[in-house]
Amino acid sequence: MSDIRDQEDAHEFRVEALSLWRITFGPLIWALHFVASYGAAALVCAKASAGAVEALRIGIGVGTLLALALILWLAVRAWRQWDLRRDPEWENDKGTSEDRHQFLGHAAFLLSVISFIGVVYVALPALLIGSCA
Amino acid sequence: MRTSALLMGLSLLSACEGRQSVLNPAGRDAQDVLSLIWVMFGGAVLLWFLLGVIFVYVTKVEPREMPRRWGEALIIGGGVIFPVILLGALLTYSLPMMKPQREADEGLKVHITAEQWWWRVAYELPDGRRVTSANELRLPTGRRTGLVLNAHKVIHAFWVPALGGKVDMIPGRETYLSFLPEEPGVYRGQCAEFCGASHALMAFETVVMTPEDYAEWIEAEASDAAKPASAEAYRGAEVFAREGCGGCHTVRGTQAQGQVGPDLTHVGSRKSLGAGILEMTEDDLSRFIAHTEDIKPEVAMPGYDHLTPEDLRALAAYLKGLT
Amino acid sequence: MTRVHPLPTAEGPYPPTEEMLNAPVPEAEQERGAKELRAAWKTPEGWRYVTAVNNSEVGKWYSLTALAFMLIAGLLALAMRVQLAFPGMTFLDADRFNQFFTMHGSAMMFLFAVPMFEAISILILPAFLGARDMPFPRLSAYGYWCFLIGGIFVLGSLLFDAGPKAGWFMYPPLATKDEGIGPDIWLLGLSFIEVASIAAAVELIVGALKCRPPGMRVNIMPLYAWYVLVVGGMILFAFPPLIAGDFLFELERSFDWPFFDPTRGGDPILWQHLFWIFGHPEVYIVFLPSIAIAAMIVPTVAQRPIVGYSWIVLSAVGTGFLSFGLWVHHMFTTGLPQMSLGFFSAASEAVVIPTGIQIFAFVATLMVGRVKLTLPMLWIAGALAIFVAGGLTGVMLAIVPFNWQVHDTYFIVAHLHYTLFGGMVFPVIAGVYYFYPFFTKKLMSEKLGLWAFWLIFSGFNITFLPMHLTGLMGMPRRVFTYPESSGWGWLNLISTLGAFIIAAGFAVFLYDLLRPKKAQGQIARNPWGAGTLEFSHDIPEEAWGARSVPHIISRYPLWDQPKLVERMDAGRYYLPDAPDHQRETIVTSVIDAKPVHVQRVTGPAWITILAAIFTGGAFIFPTFHIYTPAIICGAFAIVCVMYWLWTSTARPPKEEMREAGLGLRLPTYASGPQSVGWWGMWITMLGDVTAFASVVFGFFFYWTARADFPPEGAAHPVGLWVAVAALAGVAAWALTVAARETNARGQVALARLSLVLAPLAAGAAGVAAWAAVRDLDPTSHVYPAILWALMVWLVVHLAAGVLMQGYCLAGSVFGKLTPRYDADLRNVTLYWHFMAVKALVTAAVLGLAPGWLT
Repeated sequence: MSDIRDQEDAHEFRVEALSLWRITFGPLIWALHFVASYGAAALVCAKASAGAVEALRIGIGVGTLLALALILWLAVRAWRQWDLRRDPEWENDKGTSEDRHQFLGHAAFLLSVISFIGVVYVALPALLIGSCA
Repeated sequence: MRTSALLMGLSLLSACEGRQSVLNPAGRDAQDVLSLIWVMFGGAVLLWFLLGVIFVYVTKVEPREMPRRWGEALIIGGGVIFPVILLGALLTYSLPMMKPQREADEGLKVHITAEQWWWRVAYELPDGRRVTSANELRLPTGRRTGLVLNAHKVIHAFWVPALGGKVDMIPGRETYLSFLPEEPGVYRGQCAEFCGASHALMAFETVVMTPEDYAEWIEAEASDAAKPASAEAYRGAEVFAREGCGGCHTVRGTQAQGQVGPDLTHVGSRKSLGAGILEMTEDDLSRFIAHTEDIKPEVAMPGYDHLTPEDLRALAAYLKGLT
Repeated sequence: MTRVHPLPTAEGPYPPTEEMLNAPVPEAEQERGAKELRAAWKTPEGWRYVTAVNNSEVGKWYSLTALAFMLIAGLLALAMRVQLAFPGMTFLDADRFNQFFTMHGSAMMFLFAVPMFEAISILILPAFLGARDMPFPRLSAYGYWCFLIGGIFVLGSLLFDAGPKAGWFMYPPLATKDEGIGPDIWLLGLSFIEVASIAAAVELIVGALKCRPPGMRVNIMPLYAWYVLVVGGMILFAFPPLIAGDFLFELERSFDWPFFDPTRGGDPILWQHLFWIFGHPEVYIVFLPSIAIAAMIVPTVAQRPIVGYSWIVLSAVGTGFLSFGLWVHHMFTTGLPQMSLGFFSAASEAVVIPTGIQIFAFVATLMVGRVKLTLPMLWIAGALAIFVAGGLTGVMLAIVPFNWQVHDTYFIVAHLHYTLFGGMVFPVIAGVYYFYPFFTKKLMSEKLGLWAFWLIFSGFNITFLPMHLTGLMGMPRRVFTYPESSGWGWLNLISTLGAFIIAAGFAVFLYDLLRPKKAQGQIARNPWGAGTLEFSHDIPEEAWGARSVPHIISRYPLWDQPKLVERMDAGRYYLPDAPDHQRETIVTSVIDAKPVHVQRVTGPAWITILAAIFTGGAFIFPTFHIYTPAIICGAFAIVCVMYWLWTSTARPPKEEMREAGLGLRLPTYASGPQSVGWWGMWITMLGDVTAFASVVFGFFFYWTARADFPPEGAAHPVGLWVAVAALAGVAAWALTVAARETNARGQVALARLSLVLAPLAAGAAGVAAWAAVRDLDPTSHVYPAILWALMVWLVVHLAAGVLMQGYCLAGSVFGKLTPRYDADLRNVTLYWHFMAVKALVTAAVLGLAPGWLT
């Protein structure tokens, strides 16, 4: 019989306390990228000269690559946490520390995928539209 | 209640249907959007039925268990891969389509300011002249015309479905839109942003003309008002002066130089009355002047129902004669 | 932090072994526990019934009120449909039509859709979680009474022909220039309800995070709880911008500060941004919890666990985030730069992906399961059919050139009703059929249900399908009439006929819902064979929710934990009794739901109703520009809330530990991050900081949008006073922290001294902030106006912080707050952490920004 004061998974818990946040890191990067792109476009279009639009597009391009790299890194970490290859199970539906750990990895991984797509989509206008008008 | 009774009694503009329809384009921009609509509409109908078929199949036709793997494949294929490709393609196709309607004009600019509930129109010609008009827009075919949009008190939106998309008209901001009309004809435009009591009664006619007709028309529009041509019209001009109509309205070439209401210099030549809600006939003119507020709720112009029927008729004849 | 006497922590065996669970509970023990619980959870009777705060009562009132408001808004829609049936109809005049469409939209959104989510969640979330009640029952009750008063006030304005008539979006300048009181009614009435919504969101988030049953880790909590978490978070970030907008709007209406007046540097577009930053997430706030109901029904129908649990979590969280990147698609026609439009177009398409995943996960579950079509499932099927159509038109509308054509036409009316009927109304009705047996132990009629379904489903499509065409044929929205020559007559007539078919369907549904069902007898607890905890509850005959709070090890405990219900009923699990005859629920850890402590929850009270009435007064009097009674009401509301907090929350316990069952001993008091109050404060502050950020955004918005901001030669705030405000604000924060630390170390006198000095510093900060902008005239230009607005915002928050410090001081003096039991002080310190940030940011904007920008 185990006691509630046994802290055998205390270390693990510290890690996981972060990871409920960690599943939101992907979308947060998307949000930052989105706000930065929109804010920069609004500023440049309102305050800067016409020539600055090119600089803006390059800036958004660099920001996009940075965001995608970060999301990829998160995805790789989440993929490891999900641990699909060792434990080929998708549902992680048992009330154990291990399943909880893998579930959070799985969710974070999927959110990275969505965030990746989101960032690519949001970069499309900078690629396809060259003016403020 | 009287308002509506009057409205019922009036023969609201009768003309062929579909003059305000996205589906009957008369300009390049509207035509392009219509093609887009058919593509998207076809795709949407197809996808809806596809999902419907899958749904009916799994619940009705084959309600027994299927392997879990298939479910996962359905989520990945149907939920991720397929839409990512489809939506990506749609975005790539449609994002550049915004551009034409924001392009610069090819020699003709029209300044339009929205009032509650009518349109102030000023043509800025290539030679720098400005021609003031109201409640009707005339455009030549084959040339991109720029529309510089403003609003006086509240937000309105400028929309001529047959020519292209709409743009808001915002107090304190200038917005811009351009059209490339192709088919001569008369199309209806309407305010699309809710702008108060008579929002429903704020429309206008857009007349698209060949460049030759247009050149002729704009010269006429730039000229001063015609002199009253009949005794009745003459009397009407007197009523117009006596009642102080010129305090609000301009009739170029006369004492009337008011700026509050629509310019009436060539009002008789317009296709409609009261910002696209009545016909330009003497009957409708006298009715509108007598019962303005009833026909158009909360409008700034008071009804002149104290005028005698003779005065009203004369006034109508005068205005109808201002072609 | 050092504590002289640390609080005890949980002790005893955990998790329970099978052997422990198999041990029978003695008959006498069972009876004693049941008797104690029954006494503690007794619903007040007679005229005291209104003082009830239990989630099952408040949730019931809440849903029925929201339903009633929905029906009223529906009647308004019918009247509008009659007016539009033929061209040139005379049924409603322009003014009344405009009041009706404004109220239809406002009521459906603010008085039905969002409150209905809160109502349903309050009603069933504790049941999903095997909890006894929500963590803050009196807050729910307070929220409900605010909602009722505000709703009646706003809707009642129609009876006096004084309703708002500028559209549910209240665009200035039309709305700011309106000479009647309509816009004030809209603004203040709905702000009042928005505050109640935020309160509900805080409670639901804390409920989902901290009130789960032992063992219910995040990977096995019901999907509904995930959705509640996401939607609660969305409310926290979506509503505050609107509240900030309301704040600016009402300052313009009442004091002529020109935030939206372009002649004095203002800009009507700022309102549109703030409104739609709220308005678009709002759509998903309405949609997600309803689709969450589908996520509970579908596995039951398939008799299989949901396929793609993680995918649905992804979808809910992803939608929650992406929905904040869509707001400008309501503003595509405002003439923003093409590239900006492009970003929002792209994000609007991206959000389709998580939404689609959600739907495919349902289909996949049905695919792997053995489907038995039930009435709730029929409604879900109808919902999917309608919602998918609305989603597809949504994909089209996200395309800018198409949007330019159909924006503000009947195409939009069709689209939004497809998404909201499919995404909200149908799933909620499905939920009513599905959960009805859980509330009442009766079933609704199958036959009437089919009638209602087919009437509403066909009526809906007859009404709204033709509207797509009406819109493409050029009919704008919000027109009270149209000319015969338009050719829209026949389409409108069809729509009107359809509207009456929908109404007939609702009549059948209502009759079935409300008709007495005494003859039916009691049915089984779990008529659908569901796998989730709510069908283990023995509501309505017992008000305690769960007889004992179970230990959960599966997503579908009723399927996978065979003896669960039997053991719950026997009181084998946790909290099987109430020795002190007090209401309690168990609080667990966020990730793994390990038992942490036993939380005392509040019982019936008049004070919540009084507080709501006074809060109502504080919001309603200003509508008529009567300020003295408003201030008096506001003061009384604060007194009521303080009294209620003082008498019933975080009081030092009689016994520090409680036998919680299965050998587990749990503390009865918690402080800091362990306690639910701390979480409530933290979450509330997130929302508050969002509202503050929205006001600051306004400042920078004016700078980008207007060339004359700040205007040339404008007077700026006095730098010295700004600096004093910043320093004093930080000092007030530091003193509060010092009070917490010294108190925890047992140096009570020092703590009290800090709590005397802190309000003085806070007061000084407020006065200095006022002195900094005193000489600027806020009616002259938007620049001084927004500086004043920031100052007012800061001072109001400082005042709230001072009240809290005073509360702690009083607590310390009167023995409510001791070095050991210091939850109040910890919560207040948390408030002050945020306060310090706000003071510094305000000072930076007041003192530094003008220098940078010019």
